[in-house]
Amino acid sequence: MPDSNITVSSAPHISRPLSTRKIMIDVIIGLMPAMAAAGYYFRIYAVILIAVCVVSAVVTEWLCNLIRKKPNSLGDFSAVVTGIILALSLPPGLPAWAAIIGSSFAIAIGKMVFGGLGANIFNPAMVGRTFLTACFGVLMTTWMVPATVDPAMPKIAADNTLPITQATPLAFSKQAIKTASGADVANKQLKATFTGQVGGCLGETSAMALLAGGLYLFIRRTISIHIPLAALVSAFAFAAVFNLINPDVYISPLMHLTSGAMLLGVFFIATDPVTAPLTMRGMWIFGIGVGLIIMLIRIVGEYPEGVMYAVLLMNAVTPLIDRLCKRVPAGGRPSVS
Amino acid sequence: MTLTNMRITPKGRFTFRGGVHPPESKTFSQQGEIQPVPAGKQVSIMLCQHIGAVCQPTVKKNDAVQAGQKIGDSDAFVSAPVHSPVNGKVKEIGLRSHSVLGRSPAVVIEADAENNPLKQPTFGRFTNDFDADGFSIEQICSAVRDAGLVGMGGAGFPTRVKIEPNPRLPKKTMIINGCECEPYITCDYRIMLEWTNQIIAGIKLAKKTSGCSEVLIAIEDNKPKAIEVMNSALESCTNTDGIKVVCVKTKYPQGGERQLIKAILGKNVPTGGIPPAIGVVVLNVATTAAIAEAVVLNQPLTHRVVTVTGEGINRTGNYYVPIGMTVEELVNHCGGLAEDAIRVVLGGPMMGIAVADLTKPVTKTTGAITVLTEKQVGWGKLAEHRNRTACIHCGRCLQACPEHLNPTIIAHAVRKNLLDKAKDYYINACIECGCCSYACPANIELTGHIKTGKILLAKRKND
Repeated sequence: MPDSNITVSSAPHISRPLSTRKIMIDVIIGLMPAMAAAGYYFRIYAVILIAVCVVSAVVTEWLCNLIRKKPNSLGDFSAVVTGIILALSLPPGLPAWAAIIGSSFAIAIGKMVFGGLGANIFNPAMVGRTFLTACFGVLMTTWMVPATVDPAMPKIAADNTLPITQATPLAFSKQAIKTASGADVANKQLKATFTGQVGGCLGETSAMALLAGGLYLFIRRTISIHIPLAALVSAFAFAAVFNLINPDVYISPLMHLTSGAMLLGVFFIATDPVTAPLTMRGMWIFGIGVGLIIMLIRIVGEYPEGVMYAVLLMNAVTPLIDRLCKRVPAGGRPSVS
Repeated sequence: MTLTNMRITPKGRFTFRGGVHPPESKTFSQQGEIQPVPAGKQVSIMLCQHIGAVCQPTVKKNDAVQAGQKIGDSDAFVSAPVHSPVNGKVKEIGLRSHSVLGRSPAVVIEADAENNPLKQPTFGRFTNDFDADGFSIEQICSAVRDAGLVGMGGAGFPTRVKIEPNPRLPKKTMIINGCECEPYITCDYRIMLEWTNQIIAGIKLAKKTSGCSEVLIAIEDNKPKAIEVMNSALESCTNTDGIKVVCVKTKYPQGGERQLIKAILGKNVPTGGIPPAIGVVVLNVATTAAIAEAVVLNQPLTHRVVTVTGEGINRTGNYYVPIGMTVEELVNHCGGLAEDAIRVVLGGPMMGIAVADLTKPVTKTTGAITVLTEKQVGWGKLAEHRNRTACIHCGRCLQACPEHLNPTIIAHAVRKNLLDKAKDYYINACIECGCCSYACPANIELTGHIKTGKILLAKRKND
């Protein structure tokens, strides 16, 4: 009798063939269209940024585990995801050294100091990006013209002191709000923001690619639709109200949804399971919060873009949301506890 | 007769929210006809095979016992006597290893080598014109109690307590549970196919006793043959008013009684309550068959159908096994474990209990012995893919939980010994179905932690 082989454990004895690594690989596949679009529009800059961010994220995680004397955790691929998302949210022209700083900060301070995967409060990629924004404000707001834009075409840039840069549609929107006119100039770029032929962060320009990736994650059930849907609907509603009040000053809500980091944020950053609420009700609240804060910053605030701060702010209240949205058991609350 | 205009839905519409879809894996044993198995040299009858008071032995060492003789009983209301499945002699009354309770009292009987006829299933003695009118309610109740009947689906709640009329909690609907949602297991399926008339006789007796006006036989839609057989039997049988087959969706844990009631009747059993609180009683098909046997033939529960299945066993099938036979004897009867067998589970893979000691006896609630290999358990070659990571808060356990709990928070609280927090998140509403662990991508043993928490809470309450 091969009794010695018999092992015991707590039930259940079978498990769904799903692992954290498979989820992360799915997210990477979901990011593929956006990476491809980045490569198409920004060529070698995209390749360098993504490679640098991924490598430095992975190396940082490895080093942190070494210092903490913890087992290697690179196998879950979460560092790769963080690296890619950070790279996609950086301006294409950012120097590699800055990207390395940001990516290392994202993993070391954004994730590992909390105890690694699953323990962090804030989305690591956004922590890294915030750090870069605080340190290198100018570099982080210098937008390169996509390589596919015909150089002969007139630049719609507000600041065209540098020949290869241009303002993003959202900078235009901000300017329109400040000068109280000219929203239609930005609105004309809707087609460009959909395909991605505009200035902006590496991976955020092409709405088309991001939608394709988001759809993939949704079909694979890697993300649930609650957070993206809630965020998009609330942002759309917020923008629509302002647009209806004064279409000259406020750009159209569709323009808001397709431009900036909105789609990258709601599909790939806000849905980071670690920093989003657990319950369905919590996810609705979280999504609505993200959408509203983005639009508040974009329309009322000083910055042209607010995805990063919106996600981080909602991350901060996630534990609170989870506590408030306690699930009621199927049979109702027990009468005697 | 309302049966003529009854429709069978090809796809079950009824279900509940939550649950998971593990591979069904029923093909190993679903073709295997129920075969009687002879008892070995000795049997160990546990004195507690049910929920409720432990039985006291009614025999002494060296007493001669007959097959079907009562060997343990209790005066408590919630309890069930135990009987000897063989002719023989009491060898010992001592402690034996029980799959759930650890070492607990048992009567060990040495079987008489010459005088032990093989017990055959009794389904052939039931015809389709069975009539429950010949039996009074008191007669049925006492026969069910004396036969030691308990819920054979797994929980082991004494059947008499369930079906007896209770003026405080009148019962309206009886659900006969033929879902068998647990992967691998096919004993209820085979019983439905082979013992159909006996089941219907048992249903009629239980219906009369409990006073239910409606009986719904719930079968998952992955067992179309069982649905067909039960339906045609209901048509051919007499006095089947108010009894009908309901086809439910194939989903785990569809056969959990709370989930089944929610699926069919749309009602939730209150948390911490029992089905009679909303006028429902749920019986397993094997239990109804045993009711018929106990009441009509006066035969106590000494044998039950056990599915022996899984990739790790040489010969799979469904067996009519004397209660008290050891797992080892049954496994050997089925050709022994395969070389790569790595886990022996009493029950199915979702809720069953893994045993290392194969001398544990089969009890009244052992529906299956599932032997798994590395591939199913997810060790060995697959180990690198099945690495445990920290919880990533993905919420899959919340979506899977059929009781709408928050498994990850409860399990985490238990790990940190925050029992009050676990209680705040309704740890005691957990039915231990295993869906959360099954769904967890980080491969965390959520169900194990939650079970531990429940035990710690109960212990704290007692202290």
